[in-house]
Amino acid sequence: MRAPPFAYARADSLDDALMLLSEAGDEAKLLAGGQSLLPLLAFRVVRPTHLVDIDALGTLAGIQQVSDGLRIGALTRHDTLARADLTGGERLLAVAASHVGHVPIRMRGTIGGSVAHADPSAELPAALLALDAHVLVRSATGERTIRAAEMFVGPFTTALAPDEVLVAVIVPTVARSCRHGFGEFAVRSGDFALASVAVVVSVDGGNADRARIVLGGVDATPIRATGAEAVLTGSELTDEVIDEAAATAAAECDPAEDATTTAAYRRRLVARLVRDALAQARDKGSG
Amino acid sequence: MSGAIGARAPRLRDATLVAGRGRFVADLDLPGQAWARVVRSPVAHAALRGIDIDAALAHPGVVAVLTASDLPDVRIPIRLTFAATPEAEGVLQPVLARTVVRYVGEPVALVIAEDAWTAEDAAELVTLDLEILDAATEVVAAATTGAPLVHAETGTNVLNTIPMQYGDVESAFSDAAVVVRRRLELPRQTGVPLETRGLLAEPGEAALTVWGAAKVKHFNRGALAELLGVDAATIRLVEVDVGGGFGVRGELYPEDVLIPAAALRLGRPVKWVEDRAEHLVATNHARCQVHELEVAATAEGRLLGFRGTAWVDQGAYVRTQGILPALLPATHLPGPYRWEAFAQTTHAVLTHRTPIGTYRGPGMTEASFVRERMLDVVASELGLDPVELRRRNLIRADEMPFMYDLGPASPPIVYEHGDFAEGFEELLRSAGYDELCTERDRRRAGGVHVGIGVAATVELGAIGPFEEATVSAERDGRVIVRAGVGSLGQGVETVLAQIAADELDVDPALVEVRHHDTADVASGFGTFASRTTVVAGNAVALACRALMEQAAAQGVGPAELGEVTGRFDKPHPSFSFGATLSFVSLDPETGRTTPERHVVLHDVGRAINPALVEGQLAGAAVQGVAGALFEELPYDETGQPLAVSLADYRLPTAAEAPPVDVVLVEGPVPDNPLGVKGAGEAGMVGAAAAVANAVADALPATAGEPLVLPLTPRRVSELANGGR
Repeated sequence: MRAPPFAYARADSLDDALMLLSEAGDEAKLLAGGQSLLPLLAFRVVRPTHLVDIDALGTLAGIQQVSDGLRIGALTRHDTLARADLTGGERLLAVAASHVGHVPIRMRGTIGGSVAHADPSAELPAALLALDAHVLVRSATGERTIRAAEMFVGPFTTALAPDEVLVAVIVPTVARSCRHGFGEFAVRSGDFALASVAVVVSVDGGNADRARIVLGGVDATPIRATGAEAVLTGSELTDEVIDEAAATAAAECDPAEDATTTAAYRRRLVARLVRDALAQARDKGSG
Repeated sequence: MSGAIGARAPRLRDATLVAGRGRFVADLDLPGQAWARVVRSPVAHAALRGIDIDAALAHPGVVAVLTASDLPDVRIPIRLTFAATPEAEGVLQPVLARTVVRYVGEPVALVIAEDAWTAEDAAELVTLDLEILDAATEVVAAATTGAPLVHAETGTNVLNTIPMQYGDVESAFSDAAVVVRRRLELPRQTGVPLETRGLLAEPGEAALTVWGAAKVKHFNRGALAELLGVDAATIRLVEVDVGGGFGVRGELYPEDVLIPAAALRLGRPVKWVEDRAEHLVATNHARCQVHELEVAATAEGRLLGFRGTAWVDQGAYVRTQGILPALLPATHLPGPYRWEAFAQTTHAVLTHRTPIGTYRGPGMTEASFVRERMLDVVASELGLDPVELRRRNLIRADEMPFMYDLGPASPPIVYEHGDFAEGFEELLRSAGYDELCTERDRRRAGGVHVGIGVAATVELGAIGPFEEATVSAERDGRVIVRAGVGSLGQGVETVLAQIAADELDVDPALVEVRHHDTADVASGFGTFASRTTVVAGNAVALACRALMEQAAAQGVGPAELGEVTGRFDKPHPSFSFGATLSFVSLDPETGRTTPERHVVLHDVGRAINPALVEGQLAGAAVQGVAGALFEELPYDETGQPLAVSLADYRLPTAAEAPPVDVVLVEGPVPDNPLGVKGAGEAGMVGAAAAVANAVADALPATAGEPLVLPLTPRRVSELANGGR
């Protein structure tokens, strides 16, 4: 459980990181908090030729309100995000971040790292999709944005090109006036979730007007439960409506089986988590 | 008598360890040392047609690559000779696989390099020419005709079939008002010390020194000498700080021969530290049993008959503990109860999986789960409170000594003393059983799923044959005690110092306990089976008494006498009583079980250091609860292990650890001068049984019965939801 050989370079600036990355070629990896990459290296599951260390680039950290929404720098630590003073739907990010791993992981792990790693059971990718957020990425040749819906391509696979650096996550302003709910089920505290649910609902005159229900850990990427969303749209969030949405979400997802879990069990978890997350959104999800 | 016995003294090593100044084997380095990396089989069963080491040898920094042909063709011997059978002797593990690999993780080659990274890089360059064969990966299926054979020459995977019987079973069942039949299963689990195994071997002019020993140093020294073909006097085994043992650490494993052999061959120090992924396939596994059994009782709940068949996995080879993993469950199945008749057939079965050894509370934990779950099923069948059923059958003080003669396969089981019925009542009183029942009923009425489970158990411990200890009074006032025991973090140095201080009426701080070096301590059977305080502790007490007597007889000060030896013989093991109560709540939808209270009672005879005994019991209880709810080493149908990291093998974290209350029962134990009983494993023994019974009680009435461990959220959810 020792990393295979690799070349290491520490970037002094974002431009430096972009240059190092483009020089290193397709088998290079960025190193930030290292909370996923270092264990994968130790197990020799990944074998990058180069590591470009951006962990000390302070300019990539921090949370601020910008003209088009809330901007969270890629190197913002989970612990910082979990403690951030966010309101409305934006708070979903803080709640999701507080569910990541354990305290030592949250002290070092970063939002950019979690999003770029794209673990299907990770909390922050699901939250980004529920918030209809986008990510800002930069390469030596320019900058572009990728919507969360296009970002997650498969397990541990994103739309990022090998020479691109994820710079920030942008949450649209509308999120602030929404309600949110989040829940996950893991066998032990801090384990990878068997299922997770992030919801963002805007409520207009007592009825849900726009709802996004995202299921994590039950497919190759976080997925929207569009059938369940349709159940909510235009309806008051009564217990009956919530139950129907939960049952719809459970029925429309297709979780994988493995040696220690079954699809039927994960569907049951999804129903429960959707129910609890929607009740949270209705009852206290605006704070 | 300085009153040192009975004091809640902190462990002598605590300050050092808490400050991070402990010295574990991974912390040791020697000039000129090389690092070893074991190349392991990636498959469960294959013919090993060849090994290509050329690329590894050519890798810069590689010192040597060893394969079976570089080593004598030897097998790791059985340490516990009472658990050896001719069949077991035929399937002992080679140091490196020669022509067949039989489990994922089996050592095949050893790469030695200038540093650990290079060794791991080069190990990947060793290529194995393997002809993959079918594997036997499930214990009951492996026992059937036509299953792939783990050792072709044996003709069967059923290594031994062990019958144990007592009384007239046929009439016990024909007289019964109620007979219940069930099949219960325990998964593969293992002790997972936070410190993995590790070795540093240094060839020297006088002796080969091996650091990293634990548990049974003196046996390992002798066995290693024999396997290497050298005189035992030329081998020195040294124990440094050890981060947990739990039965698995310190036995003689293939690496314990490989690393010293490599050091001798290369003439330079060789270091190896097991990584966690290796640990989970290379270090002994445990449990993994299927029991089919029937219990017969009268309408009043008097237990009549017990009849069972068990399939106990031994893994791919028999290791140092022989077939003990198969013997111990059977001898613990009767437990603390009166049975008219008992019959148990145990099959010790080979599979293409990591070999099985003992893990804290071996056999007794499995037997307690099986029997105590069945008793609750019987109680439910009779409409009787499970507590009441136990009350009617527990052995009382006036029935002692109580004996089960189980036939030629086992020495008679003798419960020498104790009051099991009263011990059980003490548990109920201490836990506040009646109040807990009221609380359960109140919360249930509010729609919460809560349950109470109890278990009554006996634990085999304090096994002999004997231990010798020496004591010498130094002129500067210090007292030096030597005993061949192992310190695994349990506080043995502290306890032996308390005993010596008490006997000699000196300050415990003046007592220095030396146990760690075979060059300094002449002999010792080591630390296992909850034996150290009983057997070595009494040897220390007797040495102290001899010292004082000799000093008095000769009219000289103790410091004039030099080293005086005490020996304590323990011809028979002791069985001590324990009882456990678990109070859980659970969520039938997610299946999450929350142990809200866990009370463990154990008859310790006399607590030399109550704080340490309580710590041992609480620690074992947490480990046992985790075994009931989380821990499992599953394999797929090809024999690939699925728990290969601590993300998959779910040890409890502080968040999962239940609050544990410990109740110590103390009372006279006539068979040893200190009046003590073993206790190190006791918290484990009834934990799974009590938790499973509590889960059964908490589940909705329509739910299935919890008969398979661990009771993971998925399993509990399935029980509550029609099996899906």
